[in-house]
Amino acid sequence: MMEETRIVQGTWDISTFKFRIEGVGLRRMLENMKEGKLVGTKCHQCGMVYLPGPFYCRKCHIEINEPAEVSDHGEIMTFTIGYADVRGNPLEEPRIAPVVKMDGCDSWIMGVLQGVKPEEVHVGMRVKVQWAENLTGSLQDMQYFVPE
Amino acid sequence: MEKNVAIVGYKMMNALDLVTSRERLTFDLTRGLFNELGIDRLAVDTTILDSNDFLDGRTISNVFLDPQAGVYMRDESKVEMDGLNAVLYACMRILSGQYQTAMVMALGLTGSQVSPYLHIEYTLDPTYDRQVKLLNELSAAALQARSYLAKYGYSEELLDGVAAQNLGNAALNPYQARRISGISKDQVKGSAYYYEPLRELHCFPPSDGGCAVLLASEEKAKELTDKPVWIKGMGQSIETYFLGERDLFTSTSTTQAAKRAYDLAGVTDPKKQVAFAEISSLFAHQEPLLAEALGLLDKGQAAGAYQVGETAIDGKLPINPSGGPLGAHPISATGLVRLAEAARQLRGEAGDNQVREAGMAVVHGQDGACAQQNAVVVLGI
Amino acid sequence: MRNVGIIGIGYTPVFVSKRKDVNIPEMISEAVDNAFANTGLTAADIDAVVFGNMQTFEGVNLPHLWAADYIASLGKPVMRIATGGTTGMSAFHAGYYHITSGLHDVVMVVTYEKQSEGDSQVGLMGIITPELMAMLSAGIDVTGGSGMGAIGGGSAGGISFQASSYLHHSGAGIEHIDAQAALERRNAAKNPYAHLKDPEATAEKIAQTPMVSWPIRFGHICPTSDGATVAILASEKAAAKIADKVAWVHAVANCASDATTANLIESQITDPAEQMPAIIASRQAYERAGIKDPKREIDYVEIYNGFAHQALMYLEKVGMCEVGEAHKLQEAGELEMSGRMPVNASGGVVSTNAIGTSAMNRVTECALQILGRAGEHQVEKEVHKALAHGWGGLMQYVTITILGDKPKKG
Repeated sequence: MMEETRIVQGTWDISTFKFRIEGVGLRRMLENMKEGKLVGTKCHQCGMVYLPGPFYCRKCHIEINEPAEVSDHGEIMTFTIGYADVRGNPLEEPRIAPVVKMDGCDSWIMGVLQGVKPEEVHVGMRVKVQWAENLTGSLQDMQYFVPE
Repeated sequence: MEKNVAIVGYKMMNALDLVTSRERLTFDLTRGLFNELGIDRLAVDTTILDSNDFLDGRTISNVFLDPQAGVYMRDESKVEMDGLNAVLYACMRILSGQYQTAMVMALGLTGSQVSPYLHIEYTLDPTYDRQVKLLNELSAAALQARSYLAKYGYSEELLDGVAAQNLGNAALNPYQARRISGISKDQVKGSAYYYEPLRELHCFPPSDGGCAVLLASEEKAKELTDKPVWIKGMGQSIETYFLGERDLFTSTSTTQAAKRAYDLAGVTDPKKQVAFAEISSLFAHQEPLLAEALGLLDKGQAAGAYQVGETAIDGKLPINPSGGPLGAHPISATGLVRLAEAARQLRGEAGDNQVREAGMAVVHGQDGACAQQNAVVVLGI
Repeated sequence: MRNVGIIGIGYTPVFVSKRKDVNIPEMISEAVDNAFANTGLTAADIDAVVFGNMQTFEGVNLPHLWAADYIASLGKPVMRIATGGTTGMSAFHAGYYHITSGLHDVVMVVTYEKQSEGDSQVGLMGIITPELMAMLSAGIDVTGGSGMGAIGGGSAGGISFQASSYLHHSGAGIEHIDAQAALERRNAAKNPYAHLKDPEATAEKIAQTPMVSWPIRFGHICPTSDGATVAILASEKAAAKIADKVAWVHAVANCASDATTANLIESQITDPAEQMPAIIASRQAYERAGIKDPKREIDYVEIYNGFAHQALMYLEKVGMCEVGEAHKLQEAGELEMSGRMPVNASGGVVSTNAIGTSAMNRVTECALQILGRAGEHQVEKEVHKALAHGWGGLMQYVTITILGDKPKKG
């Protein structure tokens, strides 16, 4: 057993990294959000509709690129209520994060739910997107979800 | 080996910058491989992926490559070392009798997204080597190069010659990233020193690349291709981490790994029985050094052998007819690319890089500073 | 297929939050030395080594290179496996295939994690770095409300959706999660190699811990532990010469799904509580092991539960009971060490989590139960066959191992 040990500092520097991510589906989604519309991608083989649209279908393993509009109304599939952040510091207010399946879409998206008390949230609850007043074609155009 | 395992198809992509994402590259390699073989993802019984968290900039990076590789709801595992080792694992899975087909895919985007030297840097001891900062991938390789040249009395000319030959081969190879047509020894010698005696053109280039290979049992191989390439033997070994305790002018772990592979393949006289070799030599000096350790060159005779063109594409025992890693080093995939290049040769598909006699090939992959760990595979037709 | 057995196990003497007295290779060597001491084997007896851990947690790339001298691996084949949380079992599976391939006879599997040396949150957030960067470049303030809602923040956030959905589908309540955490911390008190031990743990005490993200309470979450685990595997022939009691591998299986991040960069297409990969992998394992009725034939289960609800959820998904039945078995005391379906007598991952080891510990703990060597945490019923489960990634990558007290026939 060591009697005396020493601690030395180190780093894992990823600030020098440049990530490339697929742009087509995201760009299509953002462009349409500027019009207050949600547009994903449909797989022409199995019919799955994804939002945001990936460049391929997970099940068929083929390239896909057919635009598919989905509703901005949907259903809560599951949810959680956050009370602390990732480092364990308590949040000022509980934050309700639902995962929502928009009507016409097969994939789910996560967001924040406003306008309800935590006790009221339930699986199956109908919600809709609260669009920002000025739509700029950024992810923040979808401000949050509110009850339908 | 009790059963026969074959390579039935391969797909590679290399460029200094592929202008792609890891996800897209994964899809292109695997979908591309399936298209060429006329199969879909359900024909693959198990998959071994290989990428490096530190280079991908994210934890458990393979998790995000699963669906793109066609592994959605399928059997898959991951090796995190040079891609040739993933082939060993995939081969074991078929040899066990549990699986008939296994896909191996590896990639590294160190041309466009991240510095390639971080890979080795982070393998160094964080309590000492990373604090003192004298060692990095290049300085360690330079120490090895100096030790090798001094041991046999070679001059730096040997490095220029090896590099020029490899870069010349790479210029002929559409699968390579750094292709300099008309490359000459003088041009190599004219490149700047990184760490003496290693110059820029003696060292691998930062590059993007990846490779996917499909392995199959003997039964399945016959259904999938009429040009199977058989895995005759394989082996691995590792040396001590501490450079000061290693003989840097040779590679004992490569010799040990080769012995395991040769024993399985029934190779007793490599210089006679092996037709050509694809070696993961990341620096010019490593090619003759590793070739000696593999028993393909006599120790101390490298300068002479390269001088008379013994290791050239049309030579007695071609080494890296593809151009080797001096043409592209997609970290995590390099050894797998060597395997695919060797398979290309054995199938007679190597175009301008084709060696005359493609009978039995030795493939090598490495990990760690100055090739601390090595893997060897013997292929035949 | 060749039969493979576990002939030796070695743990670091303790699994704790911070081992300040050893560095990484030194810590791992303790487990290696213990495995040798427990079996009477030496480095010369080992044909090959498999090595696994989640390396971004310590900031050392390919640590088997630095640790080579410390793990009796010089001059041997060494393979490194890394599959996130389930690395331990994936490494074990690789060891299994080393032997079933016919190429090796005695293989040592080395797993570890020394999270105290890294920043775990960096490691965890590192899972979604590109999404974070993409969000930033798309103008989203990732620290603000909508940003965090868009990402789900770290491991706990994502898992809360799973726990929430599990409660909805199974009819279990948060009190059952509290009770499961308490049960396992009580079990842990009887396991010298466990980290969080509490012989007096109760559901009520767990219910008093702060709520992190409903329904996950602080008391439901695993610790981060420093530790290493080594298992020595052997072929039937080699085992006959070396060991008198062996825990035999009857089947291994695994299945990968997709990363369910459900953020605005990657869409989610599956319910995180559905766990199709667990269903597929376990059924495949039963078929390979020749097991027709797991509820009757499997005597003991170790589930990878970094979060307490997962013990219940996965018990259902691996087919040991129907969906909605696990919490009833718990209420009836059947999941206790004294019960008819004992689970996680070791204390589970919720009591000890040195990530690289955690999935392999599920296997080694099953082995100890079969060998009758679990000491104070040996379950009451006789254990002839056991199932070990692991998951990794973003809740979607599952590994299964089935062990038995005799070699598999046929």
